[in-house]
Parts: sequence; structure tokens; C-alpha cells
Amino acid sequence: MIKVKDLIFQYDKGGEQIVKGISTEIRDGMHVGIIGPTGCGKTTFVRHLNGLLTPTAGEVWVDGMHTADPVAVLKIRPRVGMVFQNPDNQIVGMTVEEDVAFGPGNLALPPIEIARRVQESLAMVGMEKQSKRSPHILSNGEKQLVAIAGVLAMKPRHIILDEPTTYLDPSARERVLHVVNRLHKEGITIVHVTHDMNEIARADRIIVLYEGRIAMEGTPSQVFGHVERLQDLGVGIPKIAEILWSLRETGLDVRTDIFSVEEACKEISSLITSQQKFH
Amino acid sequence: MYTGQYIPGNSLIHRLDPRVKIGAAIALTILTLRGGAFTESFLSAFLIALIPCSGLSAYQMGRAFKPVLVFFALLFFVHLLFTQGKPIPPFPPWRVTVTYEGLYRGAFTTWQFALLICNASILTMTTLSTDLVNGIERLLRPLRRIGVPSYDIAMMVSIALRFVPTFLEEIDRIKTAHIARGATFGSGPLFRRILAAKSLLLPLLLRTMHRADDLVVAMEARAYQRGPRTYLKELSITWPDYAAMTVIAGIICLHMLWP
Ligand SMILES: Nc1ncnc2c1ncn2[C@@H]1O[C@H](COP(=O)(O)OP(=O)(O)OP(=O)(O)O)[C@@H](O)[C@H]1O
Ligand SMILES: [Mg+2]
Repeated sequence: MIKVKDLIFQYDKGGEQIVKGISTEIRDGMHVGIIGPTGCGKTTFVRHLNGLLTPTAGEVWVDGMHTADPVAVLKIRPRVGMVFQNPDNQIVGMTVEEDVAFGPGNLALPPIEIARRVQESLAMVGMEKQSKRSPHILSNGEKQLVAIAGVLAMKPRHIILDEPTTYLDPSARERVLHVVNRLHKEGITIVHVTHDMNEIARADRIIVLYEGRIAMEGTPSQVFGHVERLQDLGVGIPKIAEILWSLRETGLDVRTDIFSVEEACKEISSLITSQQKFH
Repeated sequence: MYTGQYIPGNSLIHRLDPRVKIGAAIALTILTLRGGAFTESFLSAFLIALIPCSGLSAYQMGRAFKPVLVFFALLFFVHLLFTQGKPIPPFPPWRVTVTYEGLYRGAFTTWQFALLICNASILTMTTLSTDLVNGIERLLRPLRRIGVPSYDIAMMVSIALRFVPTFLEEIDRIKTAHIARGATFGSGPLFRRILAAKSLLLPLLLRTMHRADDLVVAMEARAYQRGPRTYLKELSITWPDYAAMTVIAGIICLHMLWP
């Protein structure tokens, strides 16, 4: 479990507070989406969850360990994997397998164990065939999958994704999200920062950040139900919800707390049949 | 493709332990630089025999020499023209003195350098850069006791190598962006070209700094810390490695025994 208590953070002493008092709990196995306008402090906030940044004030606990403790942080890093926005700037190995081996190598595991983990992790993201290749010839989507494999090789319990799909085309995006969903099903906690509301429409919980504070928090239907408020905060809602809201505005009686295509289809077609009966 | 790039294969030399290959390359380099005509002849025969053993073709080896040909010519002529000694008869009328000694020194030095290139190319063409780095790290490890940070050196070298292709791509991208705005590269007077090259440097530098920042964070996030780490591949010395070491030892003895 990741526990954040009254977190305050400023990059420079006496500078502006970027995080202005966040408290929250992320329970094991949850899928949490974090959204908010550009510059609201999402990246700054999530970098506290694996001790990359330490609080100016307040506390962050990961599985009972304090991130400000320099000894504990060495145990926290492999537990909380992090995938970054730019696929190029997080690959350190000269081949795919060497890159995935970087994390376990840092943990000083024996080579046999590293080899096993590399193979497993690459298989989990479907990149086992590219293991000997040089990362620079991979597509951005494949690079991002390698980055995820690199994190998995440390056997993390929690994975933080900071806008991992920004540089990807739609099909690569699908592939990455599919892998993320699978990891979630396997019990890994997912904290997913994104600008694309569709990506987190199925999350267990959504946190909306605004100017360094939690502006809204709840299930997708709770959060995306407040369309006007979200617009004020500078974030959108998933496309499907947007369509249903527009339909409702034209006077139709549709549910607006639906975020999957299948459910939306069902809702709309049942609406159409009921209207046909009516005539 | 750049000179001396790894050429995948499964030859005898490909399969040797990188430590042995690095050690052999260093030994042969020292011999080349110190040797007389006998040692050079012997080394030439040895390296030429090594090319097929490395699964390389004469063409592949020839390509390694292409970028250094100008340098070879320069080396040859500098020795030819600036060595004192007995003049070769027909040259004085041209106001340059070319000496027999100059001719010999020019030819000999060029020969030496050709051997060095051949030697280095065999190493880099048959060894993955990750294995090279791995080998260097293991060779330096005993020096940790006197404060040589072998792990950090290996990390630095491997990251530098990893980003070579990325930089080349980046230069291309910046170039394209400049061309799209009407710049020209590789044409026009020299000072224009230098100016154009300078305009590439600043954006490249800025992007590199940005990249380095990101990379440090990403490495830290993956539990990187200075100090002992382990690697995917374990190096092990097997009988072909012992055989290779014996051959190199033999060559060294031959060099020493020759008066
Ligand atoms: N290293 C730093 N030093 C100083 N200020 C910083 C640093 N990194 C970020 N900031 C500032 O902190 C604020 C929040 O940045 P952050 O990157 O956390 O926002 P974000 O919500 O992740 O934005 P985006 O959606 O664009 O990724 C910004 O105003 C930014 O300028
Ligand atoms: Mg961000």
C-alpha cells in the first residue's frame, strides 16, 4: 500500500509550492488514474511514490517504508516501478535484453536469475523475439514495451506510468494499454497519469489534480459525472461519456455513467428500440 | 553502418571471451608499435590468417580502411619528405629532397598503422559492444582496490555507445528542420559550412542535456546506484580461450627471441 500524508513539495527552497498538501491512500492491486491540466504537478506528485523526490513536508510510505529514509529507498525502488513519457530517454542498454537486465543487475542478482527474469518479462510484454535487437531500431511503442519489461524484471508490486502513451500512435497505444491491463489483472497496483481520459475510464479510482491539490477523487462515474466542474478544471471526459452527455442534452433519457463501447452500444440500442415501440 | 561495426557471426574468434580478445588486441598493438621488420612481417601474416578465422571477408576488412586512407597518405608523405638521409637521385631538381630513409620510414610507419587498424577492426567486428564493455569492466575490476571505479566506467562507456545511434538520428532531425527552413549543408564556401555546422551544435547540446536529465531519473528509478552490480552474461574462460592465449604468448616469445 502507498500512503501519502500531507505531502508538500517545492523544487527550490523558498520557491513556489508545486504540491500543496496531498493526502491519499493507494491500496494494493488498485488501478488509479491521475489526471489534471498541464503543469498541475502530476509528474512531481508521482515521483514521490518511489522516492525519486522526497517531501519538503509531509510523508510518503510504501509498503510501510518511509521514502525519506535513504536505506529504505533502496528497497522501495524495485517495488515501485516507473515508466516514463519519453521512450528514448529511459532505455540504457545496448540491446533489448541488456536493457531489461539493467534493473536486476542493479539489484546484484546472479546472472542465471537475471536471465530468467529477462525472458519472463519480455514474454509478458510480447517482445521476446526482439531480445537481441538494438533498441534504437524499435518503434516507439516497442521501446515503451521494453521499458515496461525493464520494470517488470525487478518484480514490482506497484507500477507508475507517467503519460506512457504520449509519443505512441493509436495501435501502439492499444498494445501498451493492453499490457497494462494484464498487469493489473495479475494483481500489480497501477498508478496511471494521463491526458487521455479514455485510457482510465475503467480505472478503480480517479484523482484529479489542480494546482498541486486533489480537486476531485472517486470512481470514474463519480468523477466524470461532474462535466462542468471538470471543464472548469481544464480536463475533459472520455469520448463515450461525452457522446452520452450530448444525447442527454438533446432531451433523451440516457445513462451517462458508461465508459465502455459495448455498454454504450447496449444503452443506445435499447433507447432506440424503446423509442420505436413508443411510436 | 560505421567503421568497425560488429558483424554478427559464430566464428572461432567471435566465440572467444572478450577479456581474452581485448588482452590479445592490446598485446598485438604493443608488439606492432615496438616491432622491427621481422615482427611486422610475422604479425601481418598472423592478422591476415585471422581474417578468415573471424568469418570476415576481405571486402569487409577493406571497408574498415576506407576512412583512414587519407591519413595513411599523409603519414607516408610526411615521413617521406621530412626524414634526413641519403637523397634519392632524381628528386633534387624538384627542390624537395626525398631520401631512402624517408621512403623506408614512410612505408614502414604506414604498414604499422595498417596493422593497428586491422587488429582493432578484428576485435570490434567480432565482439558485441556490450561484451567489450563487459570485458573492460572485468579487466579493470582488480584495480578497484586502488580506486578505479570499474563499474562506473563500464556504465559510462555503455551509455555513450547506446546513444551513438540516437545522436546520429538527432543530428539528422535537426538538419532536416534547418533544411526545411532554407539552410544548406555540405555546400557553399567553407565558412558557410562551418556556420551551418555550428547551428546544429547548440540544439544538439540542449537536447543532450535534457536527455541526460531524464536518463538519470530513469536510471535511479530502476534502482541504479554506484557500485557493484551484476550482468546478464557471465564470462567464462574455456579451452579455446586458453589456446588463443597460448598463441599470443608464442608470438610475444618470438618477438623477444628475435635479436
Ligand atoms: N525540476 C524542476 N525544477 C523546478 N520546477 C519544476 C521542475 N519540474 C517541474 N517544475 C515545475 O513544477 C510544475 C509542475 O510540473 P509537473 O511536471 O509536475 O506537471 P505535470 O502535471 O506533470 O505537467 P504535464 O501534464 O505537462 O506533464 C510546473 O510548473 C513546472 O514548471
Ligand atoms: Mg508530467
